[in-house]
Amino acid sequence: MSAAAGRSRFVARALRQRGMLVWSGIVLLIALASVCAPLLTDFDPNVGVFGDSMAAPSAEHWLGADRYGRDVLTRVLYGGQVALLAAVEAVAIALALGVPLGLVAGYVSGWFDKIVMRVVDGVMSVPFLVLAIAVIAAIGPGLANAMAVVGVVYAMSVLRLVRGEVLSAKEELYVDGLKVSGVSGPKILFGHILRNIAPPVIVQATLMFATAIVAEATLSYLGLGVPQPTASWGSMLSDAQHTIRENFFFVIPPGVAIFLTVLGVNQIGEGLRDLFSREIAVGRLGLNVVHPAPRGQGEPVVEPGEPDRPVALEVEGLSVSFPHQDAGRVTVVRDVSLRLHRGEVLCLVGESGSGKSVTAMSMLGLVSHPGTVTAASIRIGDDEISGLDFAGMRSIRGNRVGVVFQDPLGSLNPTFTVGNQMREAITAHRDVSRAEADRIAVELFERVGIPRAAERLADYPFQFSGGMAQRVMIAMALSCDPDVLVADEPTTALDVTVQQQVLDLLVSLRDERGMAVLLITHDLGVVAEVADSVAVMYAGQLVETGPVSEVFTRPRHPYTQGLLDSVPRNELATGPLASIPGVVPQPADWPDGCHFADRCPFAVDACGGEPVPLVLLPDRTRGVRCVRSGELDLPGLGDHGPGTEPVREHADSHVEAGRP
Amino acid sequence: MHTVVRRLLAAVPLVLVVVSATFFLSLASNVDPAEIILGGNATQEQVDALRTDLGLDRPAFEQYWSWLSGLFQGDLGQSLYTRAEVTDLFTGALPVTLSLAVGGLLIGVILGVGMGVLAATTAGSRTDRGIIMVSTAGQAAPSFFVGMLVIYVFALQLGWFPATGYTSLAESPGGWLRSLVLPSFALGLGVAAALSRQARSSMVIALQRDYTRTALSKGLSRRRVVLKHAARNAASPVVTSVSFQVAQLLGGAIVIERLFALPGLGSLTIDAVLRYDPYIIQAVVLFAVVVVVVVNLLVDLSYTWLNPKVRTA
Ligand code: SF4
Repeated sequence: MSAAAGRSRFVARALRQRGMLVWSGIVLLIALASVCAPLLTDFDPNVGVFGDSMAAPSAEHWLGADRYGRDVLTRVLYGGQVALLAAVEAVAIALALGVPLGLVAGYVSGWFDKIVMRVVDGVMSVPFLVLAIAVIAAIGPGLANAMAVVGVVYAMSVLRLVRGEVLSAKEELYVDGLKVSGVSGPKILFGHILRNIAPPVIVQATLMFATAIVAEATLSYLGLGVPQPTASWGSMLSDAQHTIRENFFFVIPPGVAIFLTVLGVNQIGEGLRDLFSREIAVGRLGLNVVHPAPRGQGEPVVEPGEPDRPVALEVEGLSVSFPHQDAGRVTVVRDVSLRLHRGEVLCLVGESGSGKSVTAMSMLGLVSHPGTVTAASIRIGDDEISGLDFAGMRSIRGNRVGVVFQDPLGSLNPTFTVGNQMREAITAHRDVSRAEADRIAVELFERVGIPRAAERLADYPFQFSGGMAQRVMIAMALSCDPDVLVADEPTTALDVTVQQQVLDLLVSLRDERGMAVLLITHDLGVVAEVADSVAVMYAGQLVETGPVSEVFTRPRHPYTQGLLDSVPRNELATGPLASIPGVVPQPADWPDGCHFADRCPFAVDACGGEPVPLVLLPDRTRGVRCVRSGELDLPGLGDHGPGTEPVREHADSHVEAGRP
Repeated sequence: MHTVVRRLLAAVPLVLVVVSATFFLSLASNVDPAEIILGGNATQEQVDALRTDLGLDRPAFEQYWSWLSGLFQGDLGQSLYTRAEVTDLFTGALPVTLSLAVGGLLIGVILGVGMGVLAATTAGSRTDRGIIMVSTAGQAAPSFFVGMLVIYVFALQLGWFPATGYTSLAESPGGWLRSLVLPSFALGLGVAAALSRQARSSMVIALQRDYTRTALSKGLSRRRVVLKHAARNAASPVVTSVSFQVAQLLGGAIVIERLFALPGLGSLTIDAVLRYDPYIIQAVVLFAVVVVVVVNLLVDLSYTWLNPKVRTA
């Protein structure tokens, strides 16, 4: 992205934030009115007309007159001058002091930095109003003094911010290998820093401006700011308090003036902050209902497994879409249908960005918020689970479907013991005592191969190695004896030596319990080893499915062939595919025709234009989405037949340390 | 326990430096308390006599030393005006300020964390936007303005609570509570506003973490996922921000005490500043620094409790 393009995007985003524009207008109006106060009103803000004392709002005194007969509107306008001037003073001092000191402290480090930071700690350990009062006590009241103190206090937080930024910039440049030496060193550094530092400092200065207005009002309210009878919003509130029993109204004009100004400036600051960074909304927690889609209109369901076994999981016409800035909505998973029998392992394969994880998560309502999931049907055994609410889904999750995630250490809660987390998984679905739950947990730990199972229940996740943590996750997923185990890249985050053990464990558990396993992976070695059938996904669609032996030896889709070509070098796991240059395009850029067309070596004109349907091969065990699948003669895996010779390099050592 | 003592000792230099700095600042002041006490009509002899009497004519370092050694014996000096022991003044005012600060903190934490968690679990919804609006407004309204509004509505119009004044706990527990409701609310609203934003944003982050997804995938209830799994992880930044708020509260209490005419440390301070009574001010600064140090220590201890990794390391 060029700098100019970046800037224009920034301006466009700023314009889209209507709230910020409105507030900027209001603040500007208040500032203008204050500055032009002498032009707007003929009254003297500090000298009243005795006869007008406590006058109600009228044509002459729009907001009435206070107990000294002074026009309230006039005083509010002049008070604005005081407030703005005070805030400007404080912020200017804060920046003038904080920015250079922060730059130097961060740049030279060493003893200078140490001393400066001590001073900062000292100043910041005294509540700011207390400090202001102590200093004012010594140097005497007066607004200029008071705001200078406020400015110095603010300078401390600016200093911290700038210093932190310099330190991280130094780090970054060092990491980037940029030479920070000689004459150009500081130049590069400061150029880099100033670019990075401007946004947070601008935001901070804006927010400080708002608090400085409150500080001025507070000090003047306490009689430590402007001397009487000078008009200030704070001293007006103090006056209004004296007459609150006779007429409450006088509290309102200065109060609202402070409130609006501070709110406005805060909103501008927040708006600026949002421009620089965006927070993601999570939405209603924990359930993304699967909306019903019409049945029977989707694509055919391929039956790669043994049809006489009972069906454990069946998905029909599953689609997931997300709102998109430019394209309205984009569909990231389109019309996926799968069937999985008891005791089978089905592997969902594809590069990252193919939509394989989203597919699995969406079935359980675990897709993040703005996503919309639709499906004609999702069945676990004989039970339809699409359209279930949170309570209905609870009886499925962890109970009939267990899930194992990619990163075991991140997926376990770091603040609770694994025993605690095991126990709650068990008691969520079974009415058992604590002791009984512990016994079940120990049994499961032993089954998945965690040494000293009973002791280790009291340990926290960080006390486990990756492999052991994944065994904990597996034990947890199995705790209620599910019909289906969904494993999302269960070995990707693990050491190569451990991957094999975890895979073996999954397969033996499948054999023992007869559950169905939906394994999501990008590692074709894993597929070759454990899968009964395979579903290859590309850019949100299934492109080929079937029994693994047939798909690997006689692929019908060029993408499958590309994946197979990459196997000997295990490229799918390590980086870009040499056999298929390019990457999976962004969902918004997917064409109507074949999604793979721009990377396909066999692409012809017919591949574009119309959507390509998934076609069942005559025996119904295989499906393929390619207009040329009939004419292409793809070689498959060649010498590396599945099941004959392990594709991945196996570690000789099967020993894993129990503790790090 | 060991760490607590060590940490407290480590904070002593900081406290000393800040307090000493305040002392020398007041010595450097061009205000002469003796002149103020005697008023404009006093002769130079009278002023000098009073200066000697108050010990203000001694060399700076001697004054500092006698004050500092008194400090270590629990003697905070005397008011230059009433000659009252600062320690006694403090003992009288402290319960008022503590009641107010605790009240404000309670309201701030309960209201703030409650709103923040609710907003996070409904992020993007109308409830969330409403809460954000309320906390934005709460942050913009100065406490004394809020105080006047609640005095008008709940004291002057509805008559539910006294408008001003303080009833001590010993005198009447019910009256004590009633006299604290409005001030605590005025003081706590700003805290609630700030905390709700912090609570919301750290909760939103925790709810997006993998462990939250795991908790959901186990079939746990929403309440358990939010209040157990996400909350424990979201707590640290909120606790940090509570500690900032405590420092703010001390300053805020000064204003609120003035507004509600509560005879606490704040009123003591303002009077001391207006007539220039240095030992009282130094005592207030000392008190504030000690509170901040202790609160920071408590916060650090809570990290240990919240984060098992620190605990077991
Ligand atoms: S449809 Fe065309 S572009 Fe797509 S995979 Fe088949 S041959 Fe390649």
